[in-house]
Amino acid sequence: MPEIILQTRGLSKRFATGDPVLEDVDLDITAGEIFGLIGKSGAGKSTLARCVNFLERPSSGDVLFEGKPLSSLAPRDLYKARRSMGMIFQQFNLLMQRSVLGNVLFPMEIAHWKKSKAVARAKELLDLVKLSDKENAYPATLSGGQRQRVAIARAMALSPRVLLCDEATSALDPETTRGILALLRDINQRLGVTIIVITHEMLVIESICTRVAILDNSHVAEIGPVREVFTHPKTEAARALVQSDGRAERLLRLIESNGLTVEEVLSRVGIV
Amino acid sequence: MSGLYEMLIKGIKETLYMTLWSTALAYALGLPLGVILVATDRGGLRPMRGLNAALGIIINIARSIPFLILLIAVIPLTRAIVGRMVGSTATIVPLTLSAAPFIARLVESSLKEVDAGVVQAARSMGASPMQIICKVLLPEARPSLLLGAAIAITTILGYSAMAGIVGGGGLGDIAIRYGYYRYQRDTMLITVALLVLIVQAFQEVGARAAKRIDRRI
Repeated sequence: MPEIILQTRGLSKRFATGDPVLEDVDLDITAGEIFGLIGKSGAGKSTLARCVNFLERPSSGDVLFEGKPLSSLAPRDLYKARRSMGMIFQQFNLLMQRSVLGNVLFPMEIAHWKKSKAVARAKELLDLVKLSDKENAYPATLSGGQRQRVAIARAMALSPRVLLCDEATSALDPETTRGILALLRDINQRLGVTIIVITHEMLVIESICTRVAILDNSHVAEIGPVREVFTHPKTEAARALVQSDGRAERLLRLIESNGLTVEEVLSRVGIV
Repeated sequence: MSGLYEMLIKGIKETLYMTLWSTALAYALGLPLGVILVATDRGGLRPMRGLNAALGIIINIARSIPFLILLIAVIPLTRAIVGRMVGSTATIVPLTLSAAPFIARLVESSLKEVDAGVVQAARSMGASPMQIICKVLLPEARPSLLLGAAIAITTILGYSAMAGIVGGGGLGDIAIRYGYYRYQRDTMLITVALLVLIVQAFQEVGARAAKRIDRRI
């Protein structure tokens, strides 16, 4: 029986004004998986991402991390729990007045690590994200992809068990996105870190996720293995996503991944 | 002539003495106030509506009292702290009190410029509100805080000259005593020119330092 590392139970969020952003969300994340969460903008994805580590307190319901309900934790213990859940963001959110090394050191300073131990760990992480040569650079001089690598190194500093990626590739071009996704997959496989990917991009889910949940209109519309949900969508929301987003691109990738060209395929089916 | 020269040197020293001490003390009061304003604001690290509103009102009231009136109104306090009511040291008390709320607002606006996403990232790493203030807000706002300090110091310098009216010492005092009361126009012009130069120097140094330490370019 695989370990369930993170659960949301009846999670709802409603802001002072307007309709609920999330309603009754139940998710079970298995340790070691890459779990995707997809939905159109406004579906409540980012709110859910922030509710998972209680950056945003749910209006009702709870999050269980390693079986512990986060709502029961005193502030100090909640800060500690968050250190076991790294997070990266669309806009990277690096400290602009700190060097690359300083950014990676930051979470370890927060956790009161000894300086020498922290520096050694930071260098190891920069090596992991292949930015060792940039440790003294400042974020403003880095490209988007490099900034996200720094953010990943920083999020991994305290060896979290879960890594939350909130639209982490949405500000990046396709090629850089591929690089970041490969790095995430590598982190997942080599370090066994559970990854939760929040995105509006189908391609991201298809490239690295094992399971996916579709968030639609504040609810989880569908949940299951990526292949199943994408090939046999059961709900209207899932069908809309699968059909609207990047069909041509996915077809192309499928063709290329079989070592064929578009012309060959077309001639085989007798179109050309 | 050497008498004038010595007097001006003494005036500069007194002006700098008043300005620098008042700025330092006003920051000792204003910086924490500014931090509290930001932290207790809606959506801040520790939202506290009542405290935030009360503090805001007190600061606004303090800022709207004309400096000359404050100068006279706090004489009993000045006497209690410094032991006298005239002179450069005595002027530091009203200068500090009048600058602190202004500095609180400067600090508040600098800290509010810090990207909310960075604060969110720090929270996601388990940083406490105090750690976020000390390790995120203040360091990230450093260039802007430094620019604010240049504004604060030059404003305080201008106010210190006003204290000349009640014998506060410094260049302002000289300008009023010689230039205004005794119609020595030259002395007044030299004094004013010196004040302009000092303000320029502070502003320039502050702006350059802010630019040099900023890593965002």
